[in-house]
Amino acid sequence: MTPGRMAKADFVTAVILIAVSVGALVESWRMPRLEHLAVNPYTVPGIVPGLLSGVLILLGIVLLVRSVRQGGWRLDAASLSSAVGARLVLMLLLTLGYAAGLVGRLPFWAATFLFVFLFVLLFEWRAGRPPAGHLKSGAFALVLAVAVAAGVGALFQYVFLVRLP
Amino acid sequence: MPEGLTLFAQALAGFLTPAQLFNVLWATLLGISVGMLPGLTATLGIALMTTLTFKMAAGDAILILICMYVGAIYGGSRSAILLNIPGTPANAATTLDGHPLARSGRAGRAMGLATSGSVLGSIVGILLLATIAPVLADFALAFGAFEFFWLAVFGIVIAGHLTALQDPLKGWIAGFLGLLVAMIGQEGIHAYQRFSFGYLDLAGGVGLLPALIGAFGFAEVLMVMTDPSYQVVRGKVQSVIPKLRELFRYWRSIVRSGLIGTLMGLIPGVGEDMGAWASYAAARRASKERDRFGKGSTEGLLAAEAGNNAAVPGAIIPVLTLAVPGSAPAAVLLAAMFIHGVRPGPLIMIEFPSFVYEVVAMVLLATLAILVLGLLLTKPLLLVLRVPRERLMPVIFVLCTIGAFAIASRTFDIWVMLFFGVLGYALRRMNYPMAPLVLGIVLGDILDKSLRRGLVLTDGDPTPFFTRPISLVLWLVTFVTVLLSFGAVRRLMARLLAGRDG
Repeated sequence: MTPGRMAKADFVTAVILIAVSVGALVESWRMPRLEHLAVNPYTVPGIVPGLLSGVLILLGIVLLVRSVRQGGWRLDAASLSSAVGARLVLMLLLTLGYAAGLVGRLPFWAATFLFVFLFVLLFEWRAGRPPAGHLKSGAFALVLAVAVAAGVGALFQYVFLVRLP
Repeated sequence: MPEGLTLFAQALAGFLTPAQLFNVLWATLLGISVGMLPGLTATLGIALMTTLTFKMAAGDAILILICMYVGAIYGGSRSAILLNIPGTPANAATTLDGHPLARSGRAGRAMGLATSGSVLGSIVGILLLATIAPVLADFALAFGAFEFFWLAVFGIVIAGHLTALQDPLKGWIAGFLGLLVAMIGQEGIHAYQRFSFGYLDLAGGVGLLPALIGAFGFAEVLMVMTDPSYQVVRGKVQSVIPKLRELFRYWRSIVRSGLIGTLMGLIPGVGEDMGAWASYAAARRASKERDRFGKGSTEGLLAAEAGNNAAVPGAIIPVLTLAVPGSAPAAVLLAAMFIHGVRPGPLIMIEFPSFVYEVVAMVLLATLAILVLGLLLTKPLLLVLRVPRERLMPVIFVLCTIGAFAIASRTFDIWVMLFFGVLGYALRRMNYPMAPLVLGIVLGDILDKSLRRGLVLTDGDPTPFFTRPISLVLWLVTFVTVLLSFGAVRRLMARLLAGRDG
């Protein structure tokens, strides 16, 4: 990452960090003090999370000041969109779609088969490659997907006795 | 000590059965393969292996995990030499001299040197593990709430500083974020459910293993798939058997690296990466052949590999004696020990005295296994590097998903894995180190309970936190580390020192 882009990334991170830490500090403050149980006031649940949120707010402010000095506050649409490449978008769609979407809705072996097959097929796709190449890659994807779906599923279900999602 | 030797001999003899030796061989071989593959780290290997071994007997499972650990840290040297890509972050220093050797047609020699460096460094570390761990455990009996509080803060600050030397601020942010994550869920004194917002899953807290599998597995899968692809150096590999004369010539460097590596391992959360870098830097400073470093120096390669492998037994020392991990892979090992009913900590020499020596024997067996496998299976191991990432990564991700789920059969753990994977990826791209984050998740509970218990003991008086001898040392070191990270303070110190000399 170039220093300029890093400063922008730091600026965004600092803002998020401060927001999350302030939220955590407020939540820590609102945690019960358990006065009705007459507990020792030094053991209330909010004390440590509150302190940690405070430290994180401080670190976030240092990061914020530093990034502003380096010009990180000058955000533009181009710098935001260039942070995410096409490969990353495809990766996130595939992995999150599989683990958060398909697993639990489809039987585990079916979800895994679809995921591995699509993953290999899409990432080995090269524009302008002869059809034979695609066919070979597709065949491999099919074999790998069947093997992984059956192998991993059987291993966990029958050897480790895990109830699959 | 004689009692220690007896316990060690008994432990070693116990492992010399065909079944256990078979476990040692396959687990180490798998570890080497995992270490070789860029994107698969020792931490991920041990985390996935924990999910695969949790139905086994404690001794067998921990033996397999330790073989995985030692194998992976060593295996990473192969890709460092052949691809100029460190197989695990611990092998980054190995690329500096290993790859130039490979490029000049001496890949075989480089692999042989890396193997001998790893084995010898590991042996120095093992000797220190066997001698320091019992003493440290005895010393740690004096630790009370005050000391454990500062140990946790010290660990986060030092690990944050040393794993992000260019920018300690990011190391500290990662560390304190880890501590805050550890606050989620039911706390240990009044059983109040913090940050659960009414969700039962959040009340159970964030599991260390799913978070680790996310931060080291899913995040790595994303990194590997979005980075440019790599090419294997092809060509003949000659003899990998190192020359003993050469090793003897650099014995000082090897022993020094072993000591430095173990020390780096011992410091909470610092571990193998710094073990290699610090040993490499020290070897370079002391060397007569300083100008060869970075151009294919035998001494540099030996120092880097001795340093990272010595850090493995080094990182296990605090795991056993304080229940504080010396590095990220050691954090998983700690979690695995708890899963298997072994309770590491200051009481270990009282509750499980033979366990410490069993671990010493396990590391020794794993070290012998990397020597044998590393020198004999050079060519078959090269095949591992030819697996295309497009075909390996989906399989790894499936294992991450099912591995996160399998520990407790909770779908929530899959979400935790995904969350930490995406978070870890973003943080890694912005140069935040992962080790302090992991250390924070492990130490959060200790920090929380120690501070509150300490305050109850003194009825709110914080003085003992600063005046008890061990606490005093810990907070002073922490404080000075933070202070010295400010440029202005460093410049002032330099001026004062210069003024005194002049």
